[in-house]
Amino acid sequence: MIQLTLNIVISFSVYFLLSISFLFVYFSSKIFNIANGAIIAFGAYFYLLFIDAFCFPVLISVLLSICLSVLIGILCELLVFRQMRKRNPTLLAYLIASIGLYVVLQNTISLYFGDDIKVINTAEITVGHQIFGAYITTVQIITICVSLTFFIGVNLLLHLTATGKSIRAVSSNPELCNIYGISSNKVILIAFALGSALAAVAGILSAMDTNMTPTFGFNLLMYGIVAMIIGGVGSTRGLLAGSLLVATAQHLAAFYLDTKWMDAVTYIILILFLIWKPLGFSGKRLKKVEV
Amino acid sequence: MEYILHLFILICFYTMLSQCLNLSAGFAGLISLTHAGFYGIGAYTTAILSTYYSFSFWPSIPLAMIISGCIAFIVSLIALRTVDDYFIICTLGIQVILFSIMNNWMDLTRGPLGIPGIPSIQFLGFSVESKISFLLLSLFFVVAIWFVLRNISRSGFGKTLMAISDDEIYSQSIGKNVYLAKTVSFTLSAMLAAIPGTLYAHYISYIDPTSFTVNESIFVLSIVIIGGLGNLSGSFFASAFLVLLPEALRFVGMPDSIAANMRQIIYGFILVIVMMTGKNGVQELFEPAVKKS
Repeated sequence: MIQLTLNIVISFSVYFLLSISFLFVYFSSKIFNIANGAIIAFGAYFYLLFIDAFCFPVLISVLLSICLSVLIGILCELLVFRQMRKRNPTLLAYLIASIGLYVVLQNTISLYFGDDIKVINTAEITVGHQIFGAYITTVQIITICVSLTFFIGVNLLLHLTATGKSIRAVSSNPELCNIYGISSNKVILIAFALGSALAAVAGILSAMDTNMTPTFGFNLLMYGIVAMIIGGVGSTRGLLAGSLLVATAQHLAAFYLDTKWMDAVTYIILILFLIWKPLGFSGKRLKKVEV
Repeated sequence: MEYILHLFILICFYTMLSQCLNLSAGFAGLISLTHAGFYGIGAYTTAILSTYYSFSFWPSIPLAMIISGCIAFIVSLIALRTVDDYFIICTLGIQVILFSIMNNWMDLTRGPLGIPGIPSIQFLGFSVESKISFLLLSLFFVVAIWFVLRNISRSGFGKTLMAISDDEIYSQSIGKNVYLAKTVSFTLSAMLAAIPGTLYAHYISYIDPTSFTVNESIFVLSIVIIGGLGNLSGSFFASAFLVLLPEALRFVGMPDSIAANMRQIIYGFILVIVMMTGKNGVQELFEPAVKKS
């Protein structure tokens, strides 16, 4: 039972990182950025490249792969989404373009690294630490700590710094921001950079914990998106609740039914939420028509 | 020769699938990622009926359509409560649920083992086994579906759907039942999507869940977008292009392992470019003055 709780906490930390990385972009620019899934995978594969092929130390590899992922995220924004924004297209157009981007990026990884499962070997495999009769590995402890740090960090960033305030301002009204001299393009660029960095961190951590394929980012991203929709767009506390719910439901399903139903259970929760509580725990309205 | 015929049959399948999706995505603006799921429902229905209960091909088509239609109706009741991005995510979720049912319900679908030994189609006493006869049969269905969809798009109902995708609130204000029209178009497109599924099962004679994944849905959606939303002949050309693309790449001298990924990269790029320029399909990229039909 303690093991189950511990597993829930570990998945919860990963999903929280994912949903917050997705939220940064969605919150500021309203772009439903599926390409983030490829950036998650990019983070993990860059890390593999640096640590395996170039034999860099762990910390430098992590930093370098985060930087490169941020670069890719920024390039996506500059080359695709910013050009699109000039014509002011529908939200669906952004979504479809990001699906296209995801397909391109993911297959670039497949081309270079191959489609097979890769494992990152940082240290020799050990049993892990024992806490109250449950086992936890070092990577998992790091995951939980990193997630906690980012929760506090992101909250401070959004509410105390000027950057965070301008992100929130752009989210509520980009045109008014431009009038007041906050460049919405610049803010969205910052949001893309932050989101990609977080995505890369989440990718590296979960790839260290289990293993990776070029498509593993998409599944992870979808869990993050489900957590975000359940939690409601616009509050980090909602994200906490959302990712906690998703993680709990998945592990209970794995415990009582079978691990193979985990995906289905996640989406069933999403659909139940969309039926009864489409706004999530908190957040904005969904309806196009307000009567 | 056999292989060329095989490619033509694949083009037929994707033409049918993308044209069905065009009914909901192109005309009504309901861009859904569930179509591989409905395709799979068609395939599994006919596979189970013909191997376990020795049904013949013809009665299993309407049955597959009805089952797929019922599921699509339930899905549309759920999914149509949402709009835009959330609609796509909702349909994506349903696609994953359908896939995991196919993959995990061992008693019914045999899971990842798949269902082997699906008999070939019997038609007027002789069996459709050779590639050329199967191609003729699929062409018949392509023409039938094309005809149905073309008539729908020109009917009053089709015009209503186009009005909804242009301006939902306005069409509601002039007394159109938006919700009903969306439900009907989504259900209808899912019912029609079951037809290529049944054909596929009988053609390959073995099905497993990996043919009906999210990637397949994305592929079908890309065909529709590349061909142009609401453009039926565009869907046909786009599916021909995307099915023949790996062959063209092989012709250039690219090894097989790279060609599969290159194909996806190319269609991803086209998708991004089409969306960036804001044109409706590749056709309009080259002739900017074309009138939207």
